[in-house]
Amino acid sequence: MSSISHYLNRFKASLHIDQTIRDGVAQELYTHLQEKTQELEEEGLSREEATKIAVQSLGAPELIAEQIYETHAQGSWKEALISACPHFLVALLFTSYYWQNIAYPSIILALTVGIAVYGWHRGKPIWLFPWLGYYLLPVVVSGILLLSLPQNWGWMAALIYIPAALFVFVHIMRQTARRDWLYASLMLAPTLVTFTWFSSLGRGNELLASDWAARLQTNALWIVVSFVGLAAATVAFIRLKQRRHKIISLLIPPIVILFAVVAASGGNICYWSWLLLLFSLSAFAIPLWMQARDYE
Amino acid sequence: MNYGRELLKGNTDSLLLCLISRQPTYGYQIVKELQKRSNGYFQFKEGTLYPALHRLERDSLITGKWQILPNGQQRRYYYITEKGQQVLAKRLATWQDFSTAVKAVLQAETT
Repeated sequence: MSSISHYLNRFKASLHIDQTIRDGVAQELYTHLQEKTQELEEEGLSREEATKIAVQSLGAPELIAEQIYETHAQGSWKEALISACPHFLVALLFTSYYWQNIAYPSIILALTVGIAVYGWHRGKPIWLFPWLGYYLLPVVVSGILLLSLPQNWGWMAALIYIPAALFVFVHIMRQTARRDWLYASLMLAPTLVTFTWFSSLGRGNELLASDWAARLQTNALWIVVSFVGLAAATVAFIRLKQRRHKIISLLIPPIVILFAVVAASGGNICYWSWLLLLFSLSAFAIPLWMQARDYE
Repeated sequence: MNYGRELLKGNTDSLLLCLISRQPTYGYQIVKELQKRSNGYFQFKEGTLYPALHRLERDSLITGKWQILPNGQQRRYYYITEKGQQVLAKRLATWQDFSTAVKAVLQAETT
């Protein structure tokens, strides 16, 4: 592999932004290196020497990638607020008894699906990922609801539904992670917060206690705190420039949620729920762990 | 801290806007022009130019367009926008005032 290709590969591997922009900058650097090499060759240097000097004069590709990232990764205040909107809407549902009236969750669901599909087909702007997270929620919830169908129908539906749901989930995750693992974390956050709260509704050895609706209403304040915490973390994530600061902002939601769930239950969480809670929080950390691997 | 480097860093945007306002140009040509016009005074890692160009483009002060040369090579030419011209005019005026004030103070010190 030539040193120019090696240089450009290092640059691309360090830059986690939209692929079109990344390839465009890489092409600019390639043209720059070609022209400089050609000029140095005309001055009498060998091809090898000329390439080496051209690459050295550009500087470390990781540094250029970091600066380009800071230019493109910071969203505007408008984008930050749009991305925090779905979290605020869900928090609003729990400020009163709105979540118990099917009309309000349905309106929010329709809005979420509409905006997520619009954003997905409009070049996946930075504000899209939290909306996509809520778009994935009904996919997960529908799977759980299928289990309540009469036994044979439930399994038959699940056999058809689960592969289709997995396909949608994996496709969206792959597309998002290909752009940036951090966006995958941002996208997964709403599903995991919901899953965590769901898991806290168990009692004794029951996964879902019979009085779950009353318990959910009792915990409403803490649920609002969780989603507002998630909204604050999202705003910080979008507005921050540096990648390491973005990573720190993504650590806020799991801490807030863990604190809220433990505070709401008074530490009285069943065995299954602890397991689900730990699973949810560790699943949230997977994309961050993938990112940390990139740094090694 | 290198004072010259800090000064260059603080004025990179104005220098780039000024060069691009004279004629549409591309990355490597900008590097050469900067070195030629400053008689080699401005020394910097050439790659750092591209984040600066992209920052100016994000702020709608310049716009980039790809062009294919007869030999098949692709170059991204940068053009100054109307907003960029306005910003440049303001910065040049500020720089003139600042430069005059600094000179006046320094001359008073040395005489």
